[in-house]
Amino acid sequence: MSVIAFILLGSVVLLPAAALWALRWAAAAGQFRCPDKAALLPFDESEPVGIETDCILGGNRR
Amino acid sequence: MSYGPLLFLGILLTLASSWVGLVLMPHRQMGSLGQNTDTNTAAIYPMARSGEAQQGAEHYRSLGCVYCHTQQVRPEGYGSDLERGWGRRRTVSRDYIHDKTVMLGTMRTGPDLTNIGERQSDTAWHYRHLYNPQITSPGSIMPPHAFLFETRPIGAFGRSTNALVLEGAFAPRAGHEVVPTRRAEQLVAYLRSLKSSGDLPEAPVKKEEASK
Amino acid sequence: MIHQSQTLRALLPGDTGAEGGQKTALAEIDASCRVPVLFFFISGLAWLLAGTVLALVASIKLHTPGFLAGWEWLTFSNVRTAHLNTVIYGFASQISVGVSVWLMCRLCRIPLPAPGLVTVANLFYNLGVTVGVAGILIGDSTAIEWLEMPRYATPILFFSYALIAVWTIITFRLRAERHLYVSQWYLLAAVLWFPWLYGTAQVMLLIEPVRGVVQAAVNWWFAHNVLGLWFTPIGLASIYYFIPKVIGRPIHSYYLSVLGFWSLALFYNWNGMHHLVGGPLPAWMITISIVASVMMLIPVITVAINHHFTMVGHFGKMRHSPTLRFIVFGAFSYTLASLQGVASALRSVSEVTHFTHHTIAHAHLGMYAFFTMVMFGAMYYILPRITQREWPSNGLISLHFWGVALGILLYVVPMSVMGFIQGTRLNDPTIRFLDVVQFTLPWLQLRTLAGLLLAAGHAAFVVNVGWLLVRMFEPYRKPVVRILTGEAESLAAGK
Repeated sequence: MSVIAFILLGSVVLLPAAALWALRWAAAAGQFRCPDKAALLPFDESEPVGIETDCILGGNRR
Repeated sequence: MSYGPLLFLGILLTLASSWVGLVLMPHRQMGSLGQNTDTNTAAIYPMARSGEAQQGAEHYRSLGCVYCHTQQVRPEGYGSDLERGWGRRRTVSRDYIHDKTVMLGTMRTGPDLTNIGERQSDTAWHYRHLYNPQITSPGSIMPPHAFLFETRPIGAFGRSTNALVLEGAFAPRAGHEVVPTRRAEQLVAYLRSLKSSGDLPEAPVKKEEASK
Repeated sequence: MIHQSQTLRALLPGDTGAEGGQKTALAEIDASCRVPVLFFFISGLAWLLAGTVLALVASIKLHTPGFLAGWEWLTFSNVRTAHLNTVIYGFASQISVGVSVWLMCRLCRIPLPAPGLVTVANLFYNLGVTVGVAGILIGDSTAIEWLEMPRYATPILFFSYALIAVWTIITFRLRAERHLYVSQWYLLAAVLWFPWLYGTAQVMLLIEPVRGVVQAAVNWWFAHNVLGLWFTPIGLASIYYFIPKVIGRPIHSYYLSVLGFWSLALFYNWNGMHHLVGGPLPAWMITISIVASVMMLIPVITVAINHHFTMVGHFGKMRHSPTLRFIVFGAFSYTLASLQGVASALRSVSEVTHFTHHTIAHAHLGMYAFFTMVMFGAMYYILPRITQREWPSNGLISLHFWGVALGILLYVVPMSVMGFIQGTRLNDPTIRFLDVVQFTLPWLQLRTLAGLLLAAGHAAFVVNVGWLLVRMFEPYRKPVVRILTGEAESLAAGK
C-alpha cells in the first residue's frame, strides 16, 4: 500500500510540477513571445518562405 | 539565448518519472515475492521445477513458442480464458517467481499453455503433437517440429520402447522408427510441469472447481 | 560558433564559397554529410531487403505451416523474430540515425562535425545487428519481445547508440544557429532517451534478470518506448521539418508544437503496461498506463491539427513532390495509429483485440504506414542533395509509392478487421479454438499478397537508389539546380 501511495503521490506531484516547470521555462525562454520566429528556422535567404523545394515529378507547378 | 541545458533536464526528468514508476517501483513491490505456505494444509506453492523441466524451458524459449502461445489466464469475466478451460483461476505475479524468463506472451495464434501440464498430461500425445501437429490436431497451423526427433532403423531387439506410435501418412519408412531426442524429452517435461492452479490467498481457486 | 563555421567554409572549393550567404551553407552542410549518411542509408536499405524476405517467409509459414519446415533455423518463430529485428534495428533505426544526423547538421547550421565518430558508430551498429540476427536464427533468441538479440550482441548496439548520442550533443553544442527548432527538441530527446531505455532493459532483463513478472513490466516499458521515445520523435522531427520546407510555408502554430512535444514527453513513457491488460500484474500499473494512453490524445490531436493547417491549400503539391507524398501519408497514419492505440488500450477493447492479429496490424500501422513512410519521404529529399544527383527514374518513384501505399493499406485494414473478429470468437467459448484458427487462414493469405506489394515497392526504391549511387561515379556535371530551387520542368534529362 505504501508503494501505491508513493506512486500516486509521485505522479500527482512530480508530473504536473515538471509540466509547470517546463511551461515556465518555455515562457521565460521567450517561446511564447514570438512563436512565429522559431517557425521560420528551416528557411533562409536561399530557400525563403514561399519557395517549394522538392518539385521533381513532372507537370506544372502552381 | 541558449536553453539547451534546460531542454536536456526536461528530457531526463520526463523519462525518469516512468523509470521510477514502472520499473523501480514494481521491482520493489514484486522483485522479492516468495512462495506461499497455505495456513491450513501447509502446502507450498509454487514449487520449483525439476532440472529436466528447467532445461525444457530453455528449449521453449529458444524455439520461440512464446510468439504463438501465451502463459497467462485472464480473470473471470474478462475474456473467456476460464470458460475455455485454460485455468481454474486467473494467474497472478506469484505464479511466475521460478521462471528464468517470464514468457507471458502477447499472441494467441495457438491456445494458452499456462496449465497445459494439467490439461494434457499424456507424454505420448505431446511427442506426436510436436512431431507433427496434424496428427493430434488436424487443421492446426503450428509448424511440425520433426527436427526434435530422430528417425532411425529399428534395432535387432525390435522397436524402442519410446518410439512414437505413428500411423498412415505420418508413419516413417518401413523398418524405421521415430524416437524423441533429449531436447524433445526435456521440452515435454517442461510442458507437463506447466501448472498454475495452486490455491493462493490473492487468487483462490473456487471451492466447487477445486473439488472437481 | 559562426566563426568556426566560416573557417570550415573557407576550406571548401571556391565556387561554393563564392556565392556566400546561407545557400552555400546548406549545400556545404549536405556535402559534409555525404559519406556518413550514405553509410547509414545503404546499410539500412540492405537490412530492409533482408527483412522483407524474412517477412514474406514468415507470412507464408503462418498459413502454410509445411513451408520450409525442415530447417530448424527457419522456424516461424525464428523467421518472425529475425524479421522484427532486421527491420527495427537494421533498417528503421539506421535510416533514423542517417536522417537525424542530416537534420541536426542542417538545423544547427554547421557542417557535420566529427564524421569519424558517426562512421565508427555505423560499423559497430552493423556488426551488432549481424551478430544479433545470426544469434536469433541459431536459437539464441531471448524470447523477450523487441529485445530478442542475445546478450552478446546488444552491448555492441548500445555502444553505437551511445556514440550517436555523444555526437548529437557535440553537434548541438557547436551549433551556429542559437535558436532551436522543434525538430531539434525531438531529435535530442530521442538520442538521449533511447540509450537509457536500452541500457535499463539490458541490465534488468539480460545481464541480471529481475524476478518474475517484473520482467514483463520492464519488457513493455522498454518495448513500447522504442516506438514512443525513439521512432516517434524522429518521425515527428522529420514531419515538422519537411512539410514546411517542401511547401515553403512555416508550421501553422509553433505554440502547438511546443505543447505537442511536452505532452508527448510526459505521457508516452507511461504507456507500456497497456500491453498487459488482464495480465498477472498489479492493477495500479495497468490502470496508470491506460490513463497515460488516453492522455496521448493531447499530443496526437495537437500534432494532427498543426500539420493539417500547415498543409491546407497545398495538398496539390503532393503530385510533384515524392517527399511530401510520403510524409503526408505518414503524418496521416500517425494520427490513425495513435487513435487505434488509444482505443486498444481501453479495457473493454483490449479484452477483444489483445492476443490477436489486431495488435500486429496496429504495429504495422505505426511502424510502417507512419514511420517507414516518413523515412522514405526524408530519403527522397536528402539523397539527391547529399549526392548532388537527380533521382534517375520517376517511374520507379511512382512504383515505390503505389506499391507500398497500397501494400500497407491491404495489410493493415483487413488485419485490423480480422483481428477484431478473431478476438470476438476467441472470447466465445462455444467456438472451438481450431475453428478460430481456420477462420484466420484466408486473411493470412491476403497478408502475403500485401507483403508482395510492399516487396515490389522496396525493390523499386532500392533500384532507384542504386542507380543514383552509380551516377555519383559518372563524370561530375554541374548539379541540376531544378530540384534545389523548385523549378519544375519535365525530367527529360533524368530519363
